[in-house]
Amino acid sequence: MLFNSVVYITIFQPVVIGGFYLLQRLKNPLWAKFFLFGMSLIFYGYYNVSYVGILIASLLLNYGCSMFLNKTDCRKRRRLISAIGILGNVGLLFYFKYFNFFIENCNFLLHTHISIEKIALPLGISFFTFQQISYLVERCRKNAAHRPFVDYACFITFFPQLIAGPIVMYDEWLPQLDDWRERKKTADDFYRGAALFILGLSKKVLFADSLAVLVNQGFSHISGLDAPSAWVAAIFYMMELYFDFSGYCDMARGIGRMMGFSLPINFRSPLMAVSVRDFWRRWHITLSRFLTQYIYIPLGGNRKGLYRQCLNILIVFLVSGFWHGANWTFVLWGLFHGVVMAGETLFSRLKISDAAAVKETAFLKVRRLFTVFFLVLSFSIFRSDSLSDAALLWKKMFAGGNNGMLLRLCDTLRFPENYVLTGIAERYFPQYVNVLLLFYMLFLMGCGIFLIRGMTAEQWIEKKGHRTLGVFLLATLFVWCFISLSQVSVFLYFNF
Amino acid sequence: MLKQKHPLGKLIFFIALELFVIFCVVWYFDPFYQYHAPLGDKKAVLYDRDNQVVGTVRNFSYDSVLMGSSVAENFDSSYLDERYGCLTIKVIKASGSLADLLYYLDMAHEKQELKNVFWCLDMFALEASPKPTIPEGVSPPAYLRTETLLDDIPYLYNKEILLEKIPLQFTYASLDKNTGGNAYNWAEEKEFGASKAKQVYFKPEKAKSPQDFTEAKENLEKNLALLAQEIAANPDTAYRFILPPYSLLWWDAAYVNGELDKNFYLLEQTLPALLTFDNVEVYYFQSEKDIVCDLDNYMDMIHYSPEINQYMFEQLGRETYRVTKENCAEKIAEMKMLAKEITDSYIYEYYD
Repeated sequence: MLFNSVVYITIFQPVVIGGFYLLQRLKNPLWAKFFLFGMSLIFYGYYNVSYVGILIASLLLNYGCSMFLNKTDCRKRRRLISAIGILGNVGLLFYFKYFNFFIENCNFLLHTHISIEKIALPLGISFFTFQQISYLVERCRKNAAHRPFVDYACFITFFPQLIAGPIVMYDEWLPQLDDWRERKKTADDFYRGAALFILGLSKKVLFADSLAVLVNQGFSHISGLDAPSAWVAAIFYMMELYFDFSGYCDMARGIGRMMGFSLPINFRSPLMAVSVRDFWRRWHITLSRFLTQYIYIPLGGNRKGLYRQCLNILIVFLVSGFWHGANWTFVLWGLFHGVVMAGETLFSRLKISDAAAVKETAFLKVRRLFTVFFLVLSFSIFRSDSLSDAALLWKKMFAGGNNGMLLRLCDTLRFPENYVLTGIAERYFPQYVNVLLLFYMLFLMGCGIFLIRGMTAEQWIEKKGHRTLGVFLLATLFVWCFISLSQVSVFLYFNF
Repeated sequence: MLKQKHPLGKLIFFIALELFVIFCVVWYFDPFYQYHAPLGDKKAVLYDRDNQVVGTVRNFSYDSVLMGSSVAENFDSSYLDERYGCLTIKVIKASGSLADLLYYLDMAHEKQELKNVFWCLDMFALEASPKPTIPEGVSPPAYLRTETLLDDIPYLYNKEILLEKIPLQFTYASLDKNTGGNAYNWAEEKEFGASKAKQVYFKPEKAKSPQDFTEAKENLEKNLALLAQEIAANPDTAYRFILPPYSLLWWDAAYVNGELDKNFYLLEQTLPALLTFDNVEVYYFQSEKDIVCDLDNYMDMIHYSPEINQYMFEQLGRETYRVTKENCAEKIAEMKMLAKEITDSYIYEYYD
């Protein structure tokens, strides 16, 4: 199910929040937990019931490992059990996400003709697999306790974070499930959750989906692009991805909060970063945390010298690239980021840990600009369907000339919101319709930049969300999103 | 009062208020006429056959229907109103099969007795599946087909309705476009002429041998049974079938694709079957050489200019194009002769 769908907003969300609140009033917390688990499964299997089977199989595998871990204190055995569990998780991920890719590459390299049916990728498999690996490792290290199955199932399948994160650690969420009597259930907390959900929904529906129209057109016709249109497509994609994913995370956090749960922050103004390192401290924070804790540090982190540290960074980013998808474009994207991060580590003078901690200077602004430039370039590889497409796009960006494609690309930005204006222009000034749409593109870009540079959703709620005007704005945004849902789109990060 | 309220209460209040306002606006203007015919002295603006037909059939006042596919859209139905003293609405389904048009006709019968059915009968409709596609299809969407308000959220709360369709309704009404007898008329934006029509047809060098049309035969049999059932069930309704003139490109394409035998089979079965009913008149324009062989009348293989539509209307009730039990075989023979002349010579006036 999608957060940005009529069925979710009008039926699922009221039922799940209302039901959960009512069942929490019962003496036995089990009813509320079973209800939450059941509703999460309905949410997950709404479009394809067979996915639920895969999710439950994955849950049973990991819970079984946890049970065996509970029965032994022998270090070797614990490691063996955990290794089996992790291999099982990775195997499941490999089969559903990478097997087709593996066969394609085998065929290419070995000149074979193995053909298999296309394996459908279950939603969010990368997210719940990583979350369970994290739990198993902590169980092995005896940092996490074995829990009743329903607790574990609620933790993994908690629907706001199930499909596209954030990747929640056991010690962040399970204690909240225990404190079910003490969890905040005030109207103010509910309001803050609802406001966060609305702002996230707006980012997704009003911004990301509008930008996506131009991006999809641009990336599906790369050969026809010129330099200005290629740059606009790439910049719009960077913004689309940000609004899409951070919108989802805001919604997830908002829903969690309405139900009395706190989910970790996943974005902290990432496009304001002053370096790639800084970017990764602000973008998809919970993924960076997972990769750091379970790959970078076990590899030695920065404890084995500068060059080994750089190698570790490269490995982490290669894994990150693969995690995002089974395509060489993701691998190259990861490698690209890894190389630049390693470069920043080697030339440590350039390293600025946190932009917020440094005084705003012209130098910092230039660094910010360069970082965004790098991000636009690297994420254009990420969006491309193949390496050849990515190469062609870069060629267009740097040597594409100008054939007027930008105006044609802007022509895709005909939305109900500008329908009357373009209609009037078409009737009375038909020669200026393209120019009008060009200005609309610039307006969208300007709004995007304004929002990227401005307050985070939570900061805005804190400062303005309680004023009558702020509440009215939130209501209007919600209604605007609601009437925009007739064309529902999926979240980009569902695919990862 | 609002100042005293918790922001959550204000949020719920504002959302409910805004949703109510939108509900009222959409209900009042109702561009797809789902809830009522135009209120007051507002004109009915009909420009979207896929979404507006259901509403007009359910909520408009009429006693006659003009049915067909896109080739029927450019008829001016007000001519029929004047000539036959009736009140006609258009019931259009793009590339509509017989079963789909009957689906709409059933809806119209549920509402009232019909005096007249003017049916622009397409050849492709006769061989289409006898199962209507509308109940399980996406066009028109289910929420427009059902009469309950409960599933109308996509209509009531849809920014395309609010920001596009309602302003469009105003604009078209002020320009007098797609109003009255010109419902769904699309001719204004189109260019008719030989050069335009030729753009859609690339004549192959070799013709295929005649193709097997067993499936078409089976479908035709079932479609004719449905049609007979409809006509027999409404003996007081006058049915006038118009077989519209497709261009010589269509006939040549049928020839090179080995489909001429099939087309004549369709005619040979359909015309006599229709003529068995007393409340049926059939008018056959496909063999009118002056229209069919002059590509300036067309914008593609089948779509002709509104002048042809008007010409056909003017011929209703006259003997020139009327098919009777007596001249049926003769009409089909004329068509066969014309088809031969087209494929042998007339087509080469346009193609090398």
